[in-house]
Amino acid sequence: MSSGLTLRIDLDSGVPAYRQIVDGLRILLVSGKLAPGSELPSVRRIAVDLGVHFNTVAEAYRTLAEEGWLELRHGRGATVVERDAPAANAEKVTEFRRRLRALVAEMQSQGASAAKLSVELRNAANELDL
Amino acid sequence: MKLEILFTALPLALVAIIFQFLPLLTRRGIFFSATVDPEFPQSADGRRLLRSYRLQAALWTLIAIALGLVLAPQHPEYAALAPALLLVMGISVSYWLKFREVHERYGEHRPEIRRAELSPRTSGEAFSAWLWLPPFLALAAIGVYLQAHWNLLPERFPVHWGVDGQPNRWASRTWSGVYGPLLIGAGLNLFMLGVAWLVTRQSRKTAMQRIMVRLSELLLYPMTFASAAAAVLPLVSFPIWLIPVVMTVSIAAVIYWAYRQISVPTVDDATPEPQSDSYWRAGMFYYNPNDPAIFVSKRVGIGYTMNFANKISWVVLVGILLMALLPVLLIRK
Repeated sequence: MSSGLTLRIDLDSGVPAYRQIVDGLRILLVSGKLAPGSELPSVRRIAVDLGVHFNTVAEAYRTLAEEGWLELRHGRGATVVERDAPAANAEKVTEFRRRLRALVAEMQSQGASAAKLSVELRNAANELDL
Repeated sequence: MKLEILFTALPLALVAIIFQFLPLLTRRGIFFSATVDPEFPQSADGRRLLRSYRLQAALWTLIAIALGLVLAPQHPEYAALAPALLLVMGISVSYWLKFREVHERYGEHRPEIRRAELSPRTSGEAFSAWLWLPPFLALAAIGVYLQAHWNLLPERFPVHWGVDGQPNRWASRTWSGVYGPLLIGAGLNLFMLGVAWLVTRQSRKTAMQRIMVRLSELLLYPMTFASAAAAVLPLVSFPIWLIPVVMTVSIAAVIYWAYRQISVPTVDDATPEPQSDSYWRAGMFYYNPNDPAIFVSKRVGIGYTMNFANKISWVVLVGILLMALLPVLLIRK
């Protein structure tokens, strides 16, 4: 069961809803809050609750299924499955570094110090590390 | 003639009273269906807009009553419908103009934060069997009682009364004549629960959803009372006016309870409705092609409206209208 957990998206943020759903669910999966065996609501239920198109949620579920997090059940939602973490390849690390630098630059342009961002990054990594 | 005036003016006056209070029957932060600062309705501008709307609504009411009185002697068949239509359309235009003014001059933007609960849940969990089951059991118990006293039932008994309190339609002691009111009552109860169940499947988990399910369950009681009273009338003697009086008082009490529930300022929805005013056409009709929900909490009043951008909404709307008309058509037949 995954009772008490909530998926939250902000349609004003500029980030596509599909990306926010994938990111939000992945955080819960990586942190273990959504453990193997947990059942997720159907695509229809999530789409109605979020007020977004069915395809947006279906696409997000498919992406996470391709990453090995979910097993999809036709018309019934999805189940979280056991997943062996793959080794991070060089290409992924490079992509991560590029996105992180863009994010750090954005925050520094808004006045956040390097020390503050380091602490935030360390906290986020520790929080999600099982 | 005096009776005609009463029956023309009274329903219009009742509708007009509801329209007078309509802008206040809403959640905090919504005024004339537009998103505003929660304190705006109490401001000088807010009070001015409300006064202006109420004046226009009162004028439309007077015009509608005058039309009804003109039509009543020559065209009594139009005397109720035409003024009612004029009243609804006129006040709707006034309301739309106020919505536009509030939205354009005083409207606020709320962040479009959406939430979805990740616990798998069923549509039936909002219902309470201990609340919806007793009305059906009561109808069944009365059916058994009538069966046990079949020989005491008169051969012919009244089933419909005119406004003067005199019976104008009769039934005979047959299966359909005796159990008809109970079956119609059970059918209406099932229909009411069916619509509530559909709403839980096709709407977000908001405070309105919880209130609507409870409201539907509570309304089964006055509806059941009317069917049960009509069914036992051939055996038990009581004043016929008791039925509409008990129904009106109990329905008013249930609706008042619902209004109290939605006006609680601390209500926090588990899965909030979309916030933008742009989804509301004329402040009254929800139109959001990206939203798969069919039922959406109304911005004014209690209950749900439909997402008119969704084709299924139109199918459901026609289905509900047909189901609602079915008992009327059966009775007329």
